[in-house]
Amino acid sequence: MTNASITLAVPSQKGRPALELFRVRHIPDSVESRPSSAVVAEPTSINPPGSKRYYFLLMAPAILVLAFISIYPFFWMIYMSLHDVDIGKVEWNNFANYLKLPSDTRFIMGWALLVQYSAMCLFLQIVIGVFLAVALNGSRFEKVLVTTLLMPMMMAPLVAGMVWYFLYNGTFGWYHWLLQSLGILGPKSILASANTAMIGIVLVDVWQWTPLITLITLAGLKRVPQDQLEANMVDGASPVRNFMSVTLPNLYPVLLIAIMLRFMDNFRFTDSILVLTGGGPGNATKILPVYLFEVSFKFFKLGRGAAIAFILLIVTIILGMLLVRVFERGQPKKG
Amino acid sequence: MASREVIEYETGVSKAFNVFAAVFIAFYVVWTVLPIFIMFMSSFKDLLEAFKLPEVGDWAGVKVFFEFTPTTKHYYELFANLGFSTYLFNSLVAAGGSAVVSVVLGSMCAYSLSRIDFRGKKDLFFWIISTRMAPVVAVMVPLYWIFRELELVGTLPGLILAYTTFNLPFAIWILKGFFDNVPYAIEEAQMVDGATRLQAFRAILPLVAPGIGAFVVLCILFAWNDYLFAAIIGSGGAKTLPAATRELVQPQNIQWGQIMAAGVVTTLPMMFLGLVIRKYLVTGLTMGAVKE
Repeated sequence: MTNASITLAVPSQKGRPALELFRVRHIPDSVESRPSSAVVAEPTSINPPGSKRYYFLLMAPAILVLAFISIYPFFWMIYMSLHDVDIGKVEWNNFANYLKLPSDTRFIMGWALLVQYSAMCLFLQIVIGVFLAVALNGSRFEKVLVTTLLMPMMMAPLVAGMVWYFLYNGTFGWYHWLLQSLGILGPKSILASANTAMIGIVLVDVWQWTPLITLITLAGLKRVPQDQLEANMVDGASPVRNFMSVTLPNLYPVLLIAIMLRFMDNFRFTDSILVLTGGGPGNATKILPVYLFEVSFKFFKLGRGAAIAFILLIVTIILGMLLVRVFERGQPKKG
Repeated sequence: MASREVIEYETGVSKAFNVFAAVFIAFYVVWTVLPIFIMFMSSFKDLLEAFKLPEVGDWAGVKVFFEFTPTTKHYYELFANLGFSTYLFNSLVAAGGSAVVSVVLGSMCAYSLSRIDFRGKKDLFFWIISTRMAPVVAVMVPLYWIFRELELVGTLPGLILAYTTFNLPFAIWILKGFFDNVPYAIEEAQMVDGATRLQAFRAILPLVAPGIGAFVVLCILFAWNDYLFAAIIGSGGAKTLPAATRELVQPQNIQWGQIMAAGVVTTLPMMFLGLVIRKYLVTGLTMGAVKE
């Protein structure tokens, strides 16, 4: 509450701020705690000068734990990324871990595949999720249906991956049978060929997380001003026109949040891909986090892994900054 | 359902849309439920029966899916011979432990962050949230090294600490929003009546209790469903349900019946918990950005 201001209740016009009467400036504590000549004494029992120390004390345990599991590892990661790290051996290697990366095709491909994977997931999830929300909104069975849609989200991604691996199986998988019967797929499983494996893992993510987009959109739809829609309709706008010019712009902020959240999660979680394809066939689904997992915990090249992890982390942090900014715009509430 | 007058026009187009929407919803519900249903059914089938498929294109043959004699042997096998009771216990302790640690420390921190202002608060806040956003694999590389030096790999305390890396920032971020909604005047009134600051803090806790409860559950859910940390940090002595389920995949011989049974054991409690905290679910899953 640094710059509270009292404004006249004049409805502000577009672009022009409302008329400001007073501006209350924030007075730093150091000023407050000085003996003042004012007649009325500060009620010292409520805000004694030492109160900040009390709050910092409450904060300390959480901050200390976080520092131990976040800052300390971060510096360790930088240290590791500059060394050859093996069991019982840590050797400086003149940035070799980083210098090798640009010529590492799997690293470059990892980024490309990560972007491709995220884009495919997001596109399908947004299209299906928003349509589903519009279809569900105000339906008689909305509550029951939404509860049903929640089920995949509660599932461990690993278990989801296992179940889908079973369904996709080329000899006894029901989904494989279905795809074959519909004439979409030959006898080869969807995960077994490099052309279709990416679609296979995308479908699992779509299955598990489209409902989240639907839920977010439903929450957004409840806030679309009904009177605008009705006024438009009275003026003769078609439902499609109404959706495009009133509903969608109102959904835009929540959709942005949904997109950012799913995008980050595609960076964060790889459990189901590890089970479904392990990055294969060939390297067709080796998105960067999967490659990183392989380098670090299959071949135990922890130094190299740390270098990749560092770059991945930096990119995520930049994305996170954008995300936080989007969040703050979504919530005009001060905090 | 709140009753509300909405102008509705029955035109040919909107009728067609409604029919299409209904069909779409029906399809989508089937698509959502089917994998879970097949998992559930397969966990009660003998392996040979679970593998039965009709000929390609033989749509009437789908009925073989329902032709089986139910058996609970996979569940029996899991708990009697494969030590899943230990893994269930590990999962409970690791998820519950990290949830409690995160929410207790997190609520103290969130409360303070909500009540005071200081230079660098925004940076601190951003640091907290970026810890949560970090890719699990990237965090794990240095964490694994540190934990190995401290001999925390393969222990439950190690796993609890690992889960705290994403649960604690989550708890702080979400709970701060809750404390922001509690007016400071309530504590002020308490303190005017002679309560100490700590007593005032305790006095407002009941106001946020439902939220705190819901987020304990969400933290449990996140930790319970994790696989990567469990596979690497917990490997050996602290195997949780997902990690143990993964290990049922042997190169020569995949125990599908047991895998499906383990999937049901892992999934059912979380679905139940999800229903319990339904009201807070969207808020939690969107990190507080969307409220229903």
